[in-house]
Amino acid sequence: MGVVWCPDWPVVSWGVPLDEPAAVFVANRVVACSPAARDEGVVIGQRRRDAQGRCPDIAVLDRDVDREGRLFEPVAAALEALTPRIEVAGAGLVGFPTRGPSRFFGGDAALAERMVECVGPVLAGRGDARVALADGVFAARLAARTTEAMSGPVVLPVGASPAFLAALPITTLEQPELTDVLLRLGLDTLGGFAALPAGDVVGRFGREGRQAHRLAGGEDEHPPDLRRPAPDLAVTWQFEPSATRIETCAFAAKALADELHAALSADGLACIRVAIEAETDAGEQHVRLWRHEGALSAAALADRARWQLDGWLLMARTAGSERAGPGPSAVGEDAAMDAGIARLTLIPDEVVPASGRQLGFWGGRAERADDVTRTVARLQGLLGPEAVTVPEWRGGRSPAEQITLIPAAAVDLGEERPATSATWIAEPWPGRVPDPPPARVLADPPLVAVVDVVGRPVVVDGRGEVSAEPAMVTIDRTVGVSAWAGPWPADERWWDPLHLRRRARLQVVLEDGSAHLLMVEQQAWYLEASYL
Amino acid sequence: MFDTGRMVVGTDQLDPALLEQLRPVTLTGEQLLEVPEPLLPLFPWGGIQRGWSVGVAGDGAWSLALAIWAEALGVEGWVAVVGAPDLGLVSASTLGVRLDRLVVVESPPSGEWSTVVASLVESFDIVAIDPAGPIGLRDARRLSARVREQGAVLFHLDGGHSWPSALDLTLTGCSEGWEGIGRGHGFLASRRLAIDAIGRRTGRPRSTSVLLPGPGGRLAVSG
Repeated sequence: MGVVWCPDWPVVSWGVPLDEPAAVFVANRVVACSPAARDEGVVIGQRRRDAQGRCPDIAVLDRDVDREGRLFEPVAAALEALTPRIEVAGAGLVGFPTRGPSRFFGGDAALAERMVECVGPVLAGRGDARVALADGVFAARLAARTTEAMSGPVVLPVGASPAFLAALPITTLEQPELTDVLLRLGLDTLGGFAALPAGDVVGRFGREGRQAHRLAGGEDEHPPDLRRPAPDLAVTWQFEPSATRIETCAFAAKALADELHAALSADGLACIRVAIEAETDAGEQHVRLWRHEGALSAAALADRARWQLDGWLLMARTAGSERAGPGPSAVGEDAAMDAGIARLTLIPDEVVPASGRQLGFWGGRAERADDVTRTVARLQGLLGPEAVTVPEWRGGRSPAEQITLIPAAAVDLGEERPATSATWIAEPWPGRVPDPPPARVLADPPLVAVVDVVGRPVVVDGRGEVSAEPAMVTIDRTVGVSAWAGPWPADERWWDPLHLRRRARLQVVLEDGSAHLLMVEQQAWYLEASYL
Repeated sequence: MFDTGRMVVGTDQLDPALLEQLRPVTLTGEQLLEVPEPLLPLFPWGGIQRGWSVGVAGDGAWSLALAIWAEALGVEGWVAVVGAPDLGLVSASTLGVRLDRLVVVESPPSGEWSTVVASLVESFDIVAIDPAGPIGLRDARRLSARVREQGAVLFHLDGGHSWPSALDLTLTGCSEGWEGIGRGHGFLASRRLAIDAIGRRTGRPRSTSVLLPGPGGRLAVSG
């Protein structure tokens, strides 16, 4: 297998120049950063505050898997000059079987050079890409990781992959549950694990352990005697009229994915590689393979089909609008093209017996999550993808900042989501109003009046003291204050004079029994939240 | 002599956490959603009947709703919140609602409103609504029937103001004072809340008093 890996893809897909520090965060942790940020000491897994401490002018980007997926298509398409059988393993990682192409281009080394030549112009200096050839996908991916940025491709000779893997630490498997046990058993390299007899591994660690064992030994995750699915498992959607907008395609993709997933599960199969085929009005055929290490869930299938179609629509559009321009760097948000997509087909390319691990112990959890996912998808079709959201923790001082809502389409509702647990944010932010948090947080805080006993507006001075005791508050009507506490001053973004915000917060209990959190900024009072 | 290592024990001697896991988790067959213990005086029959419409009003209304969801949903239930962008999710989490079982739906256009709520009750255990305007009688009837048929519970965050007919149960809070805050010192720590429950299916009105929030931010018995 040969692979091309773009290590900084989540940042590159945002179009950030290489020399600008930027990082993509998920739930306040760095998941990818630009080379400039890396030079300043930003590393993957770092907390957002620490990253901003190292590099104050870092651009903070949200993870956008849809963007990553659809913008990756040009990179995959560039490799089509070498072989038709391109397999996308995820945004940023693409591979293909090299036996045929290698013979054609005169050896592995020559092929690797060609891969660099193909991918280089598409990335056009926007990011780093690493090329490696090895016996299996896993070995090739790890080999790509060991290369330095653009230092040239790594080519492991046929049969050398097990020896290459043997020296690597066991944690490269990225299966903490398994590798913790192995480490305790004293097996700290892939070689040590691979040397165990397969039968013993199955006996102790089950089928997932055996899959990891195969990887450690340089084999593919699943044995080669995979069952090929019957051709009637392919599902097709005819667009009448042909689709030019991604919304239309996404709807079809979702429906097809559900249908395919249901058909496969009925046969006790799970799909690990799917071929996504589209035919345009003009009769052009596009095919791309997507692989997933586990098994593709219905939602994951739909996502990949949507990214792929979006990628094709995007390429068609850039090709149409700027034939002279070499790189598809322009990102249009509004998807429309001259030649529409007439037919979409999903073909399960490789299937394995379903391990059933997506089912909960009682069969309940996964089914419920599937039900919920279906309903959510239906509502997204009706109201738009942004209309249905799920919460995730972020750091912040105000009640509105601490949790953010992300589109439900961006997560798998059936999976564990650590960022929904309050323990995700380890430390409280300084300047935070003490708990308990208010049950009503106004998305758009209205202006209110806060006056003292003689009717003068109450102000908060530079040292964070109130000018007088607040006596009356006017929200809808004017009510007397029976108790109050604060102010809690908070200077936000103090490192950035343009965005510096000096605010202070006050808790009040009114004579009608209601309690509120008021916020003052530049002498104007706002109702930020109510303890409803 | 006969040391079998383990004794056979009655279920009452087993670890309650273990029993909780052994209990079937699909709630569809069960007709009652559990309520937090401090609220049991309001629910002599044990909980909220599936298929009901429940309104929350007055002081602490939303905290009360959140505290009930936390118990009613357990570990497997799902809740959808429609058209209530102001609902405090940090508070939800503090009161014990699992955020990975919560979905927020933006306020749908009025023409789609009942379609959206009707599809949510199919797969969510609790659907919370805060309609922007009055709901027509026909829509309300159709939705009520759907909620009963699917065994969901519809929570009216506006106390049922926009609903054209009576609710099965309305809980109204009345603050009896905050602890921990003075005039210019301390902070809001806990609130004593009197709650009245009335409903067309619940017999005589009932009331109780709780701490919401109590110590640690959770619902607690008033004592």
